[in-house]
Amino acid sequence: MVPASSESTVALPAGVALHARPAATFVKTALRFRSRLTVGSDGKVADAKSILAVLALGALGGTVLRLSAEGEDAPDALAALSSCVSGLVD
Amino acid sequence: MVGIVLVSHSLDLARGLADLASQIAGAEVKVEPAGGGPGGSLGTSGDSVREAIARADCGQGVVVLADLGSSILTVRHLLQGKANGHVRLVDAPFVEGAVAAAVMSSAGLSLEDVARAAEEARGASKF
Repeated sequence: MVPASSESTVALPAGVALHARPAATFVKTALRFRSRLTVGSDGKVADAKSILAVLALGALGGTVLRLSAEGEDAPDALAALSSCVSGLVD
Repeated sequence: MVGIVLVSHSLDLARGLADLASQIAGAEVKVEPAGGGPGGSLGTSGDSVREAIARADCGQGVVVLADLGSSILTVRHLLQGKANGHVRLVDAPFVEGAVAAAVMSSAGLSLEDVARAAEEARGASKF
């Protein structure tokens, strides 16, 4: 069976960059899923399960992130990550 | 959770990095600094590393990162003959490895996964 894959976009809340604690919160959410997960911003794409890759995106508050998921729990992972990003606080 | 021990010639450096890693990963993961010689001089001692490992150990294993040269030797010497795999010295960049290990540990991952994340930090670009 071909693994399910899907994509979505979500904006970081204004004033909340994807750094330090918010980045760790995001990565910890991603680590709950089996799917391969990526997050993209400004032409760069990072493994959503790697804190160093996510920090290196340097995504600032208000940036639109492109999330992609590939695997058996892809839809659930995307929903959880979108919800996580929307709710991030600094 | 897997404990993290940071060994530096400078206790200030180890403490500062432990603060940084804890603040990013969350206070629930144990990140313990070790380092410095007598009277605040630069150096490392087996005793301070042994104590830090004991403080960091919650039963799920401990990953040890060291800064340079003789701090690696101090840890190796301490672990010699006790290689049961529960305490792992990893070959990783100090800052990035500590942050990666702390976040993986705080997500509840295994000793194997935490150690690998620290070692893979060597290949990570900063921007």
